[in-house]
Amino acid sequence: MTNLIKENKLLDAVTTAFKIKGKVIRGRRVEVFADKNTVSSILLFAKKQLGYIHLAHMTCVDWIEQREFEMIYTIYSPVEKITLFVKTRIDRENPVMENIDTIWDQANTYEREMREMFGIEFPGLIGEHDFLLEDWDQIPPMRKEFDTHKYAAQTFFSRPGREDAKDVRDEISKRSGTAVPDFAKKYSRES
Amino acid sequence: MENDKSSQKIVDYIQNFARKHSLFVLAYGTGCGAIEIPATMTSRYDAERFGIRGAATPRQADVLLITGYLSTKTLKRVIRVYEQMQEPKYVIGFGSCTINGGMYYDSYNTINGLDQYLPVDVYINGCMPRPEAVISGFVKLQELIQDGKANNGELYRKNLEHYRTNQKKIIKNWKMPDYNW
Repeated sequence: MTNLIKENKLLDAVTTAFKIKGKVIRGRRVEVFADKNTVSSILLFAKKQLGYIHLAHMTCVDWIEQREFEMIYTIYSPVEKITLFVKTRIDRENPVMENIDTIWDQANTYEREMREMFGIEFPGLIGEHDFLLEDWDQIPPMRKEFDTHKYAAQTFFSRPGREDAKDVRDEISKRSGTAVPDFAKKYSRES
Repeated sequence: MENDKSSQKIVDYIQNFARKHSLFVLAYGTGCGAIEIPATMTSRYDAERFGIRGAATPRQADVLLITGYLSTKTLKRVIRVYEQMQEPKYVIGFGSCTINGGMYYDSYNTINGLDQYLPVDVYINGCMPRPEAVISGFVKLQELIQDGKANNGELYRKNLEHYRTNQKKIIKNWKMPDYNW
């Protein structure tokens, strides 16, 4: 953690321009926590002024206990070789996020996927509602309240034989009469 | 294929012998198992010495290989492909995903147990099955063909109601052509 000059310079540039918080995670990784409404201006600022021209990824994390979705925009500068994460929290009950496909065209694909998998609405998003799934009539499947195990048991025909699935290490210790090793105890199904 | 006439038996024997040595596999890969097919076909394992080779279209193919997990979206295409194939037609389930769902057993979008939707002749287990296992599955299929036991195309036509109800449970918006084979 000695030479983080470039990283700290980037953090200063973004945090002072928008008066937000952030931190340097490690070398070449910087994250900032923004408000929902300022995300698009941060991304535009980073793209036009700081040279973060590449949208590497955008994704969503479901924080069900806090009733929030976390949106994460990962952008990259090929000159600085730094990855900048812009994170924001949005309401889980009424998830609406600003559409950024005017800044990067390829954001359209990610946004369509998030609309389908999490049910987040992006006003003005172009594209069919069915993207990866076909004729989906349940709640969006990547939300944490969706019980995929139960749904699979109801919809598909499970073949008998999985009920008595055993842990290999437990069986070895039972048959040989030796104790389960310490490093394996956290994987044990017996305790 | 059972017939009392001894001349018919000879004809059947020759017919089955010819069939088992020319298995045209549809060049259609689902899931990750399709990557084992080039290894099986090329010079090291050389599946063509068993008469196994690729076919370009469903109407020219004998064998439909379901290589790995089958998403509900792909199931629709697989059913269409299977129904376009001419008899005699065989299905090989390939990898543990086709047998009981494998590692995707609790996924919302992949089926568990292929034989509920299509009649399967031979299952090859493993994740992934190596080319030796693939060839051994094909040899098993050849034995079934020689004995006249591999007539699942007929079974599918007879039990179409059963298969259709299972298929329609997954594919809710059923817009598929009906074939009168």
